[in-house]
Amino acid sequence: MSTGQIHDLGYKRYVGSRRSMGTRWTVIMRHQLATAWKTWWRFRVWLVAGMLATAVSGGVLYFLSGRMFRMLGGLSGQGINFADGILPLSMQWYCPIGFIISLAIGATVVAGDVQSGAFTFYFARSVRPRDYVIGKLAGLGILLSLVMVGGPLFLSGLRLGLSDDLDHLIELAPVVYKALAVGALGTLVYAAVPLGFSALITNRRYAMALWAAYYLIIGWMAQGISYVTRPEIAALDLGAALKGVAMNLFEVQMNGRNAMIPTSAALISIFGHAAIAIGLVFWRVRNAQQTGVGGSS
Amino acid sequence: MTAIIELEGLAKRFGAITALQAVTAVVDGNIIGLLGPNGAGKSTLLKCLLGLLPYQGRARVLGLDAAAQGAEIRDRVGYMPEQEAFLSGMSAVELCTYAGELSGLPRTEAMQRAHAALYYAGLEEKRYQPIDGYSTGMKQRVKLAQALVHDPEILFLDEPTNGLDPRSREEMLDLIALLPVRRNCTIVLSTHLLPDVERVCDHAVIMHHGQVRFVGTIDELRGARGRDSELFVEVKAEAARLGEALAAAGATCRVTSPVALEVDLPANATTQLVFHTAQAAGLQVRELGVRRESVEAAFLRVIGDTTHQIGGVPQRALTRALAGGLSTPADATDLGGPR
Repeated sequence: MSTGQIHDLGYKRYVGSRRSMGTRWTVIMRHQLATAWKTWWRFRVWLVAGMLATAVSGGVLYFLSGRMFRMLGGLSGQGINFADGILPLSMQWYCPIGFIISLAIGATVVAGDVQSGAFTFYFARSVRPRDYVIGKLAGLGILLSLVMVGGPLFLSGLRLGLSDDLDHLIELAPVVYKALAVGALGTLVYAAVPLGFSALITNRRYAMALWAAYYLIIGWMAQGISYVTRPEIAALDLGAALKGVAMNLFEVQMNGRNAMIPTSAALISIFGHAAIAIGLVFWRVRNAQQTGVGGSS
Repeated sequence: MTAIIELEGLAKRFGAITALQAVTAVVDGNIIGLLGPNGAGKSTLLKCLLGLLPYQGRARVLGLDAAAQGAEIRDRVGYMPEQEAFLSGMSAVELCTYAGELSGLPRTEAMQRAHAALYYAGLEEKRYQPIDGYSTGMKQRVKLAQALVHDPEILFLDEPTNGLDPRSREEMLDLIALLPVRRNCTIVLSTHLLPDVERVCDHAVIMHHGQVRFVGTIDELRGARGRDSELFVEVKAEAARLGEALAAAGATCRVTSPVALEVDLPANATTQLVFHTAQAAGLQVRELGVRRESVEAAFLRVIGDTTHQIGGVPQRALTRALAGGLSTPADATDLGGPR
């Protein structure tokens, strides 16, 4: 390393203008994207998994759009079009992938920054708590939306492309909005909620474990309890709530607990979780802003 | 000209605990030592100055109101924290570029300045390596570089030599000492290591129990007792005999070596008494000066001696008044300089 010599590359005072305070969140967002992209296991491999899920779902959708399967649907006497069910059913793939991405990236964000002392780094500068929270949320949101929105949107486009004629296409057009809505809800769940869990604990591994435990164990427990009580309880299982919204939105009649979760309960659960999580992050970050610089004394 | 920091009745309470008590001070200088024991209020003061904590009273940094313009102040101030404040997995150049962008610099400018700051801090060879693998000394240098990257006008350094080996400490102090000249910025150095302050600072602010006990130059701090009657005298030989002669003339003497003694002159006496007594005794005075305290001794006196509490009186004015009583530094320098 150094020999103690001072190597000045020709210092001159910066006289240019500084970017406005309102753009600081974009810097944090770009950093979040760059960090996630750096290591293959945190995002890239799951993006590939999402693309594979989309390819498989698209293949099945193409296959089920064939004349033979439409005839089978007609023979059932209920006019079922199997192809219509593929898009909501694809959430069975996208939700686990979204969860894994949220576990690898989202659940470690705030805890990791607390652990490494990064808040001192951020808040000794002209970064406000809202810049940090919005930047991190936006970064995570973009990453997750590549899978959670991109996949369903591609499938909805494919579904439109496989329509028989213009009338059929116009009839099917709402699937695009529905796919966007389901994808956006999925992005919100897997971006905001793990961020909230990462704000609860100052150790990134424990934060990951807490988020995983909540998502899986509390989810399973809620499902179990809902069988003997009310179906609304199952909405506490965020994955099930998302799938429930997708089933109801696409009006696909399926057996199973997910399909029985009322849309209103699922939406309350999703937005409630997200609001509490974002509130927690703000609380943690605001505290960190006041204690980081100069130590906590 | 606007002072670097102006405080007027600055107060901060955390519940029942008073962290800052109506602090009034005007702070200026090139390298200012911010001193005080744990719990003195240094960190709280720093947070108030950066606009991170609400407070009562008035605090201005570079002429900006800390309560209303905290973010603008933070754009013009660099902060080197005591503890590690890195983002895991980043190289030094990535971290410094990110720091520059977060302070509002365009990306290209931030990157150029990141390289320049790392060169200045002596990390040119290692700047692309992840910081996680750096030694303590290198991490201190990265902390300095990330504080410098956005071209601050004031640099707050929190214990910059903590954990450094003697050589790295010297190098860090060299970097700090040259910053006002090379980077045109003022340094506020918060440290417990008083030799560091003695080595690089020209001004000091001493805090204790949430109050500013002293603001002024290091020379003023070391001579702030206001007594020019406490001298050290060096003679060619027979210091003990001069001591006896001076004692007979009413002075209090303490012989510290065969050729040196400390003298407390009696009331109304001047240094002429020493010269006349030595002449009468046939002794040759080789050096004479006002006894100056070390920064450490002065610091302990300021925080420990209640007679020097400065409640309600503008400290700088008081300090100047105290220092104004000293007419001897020039004389002392002529005769061999203060110790």
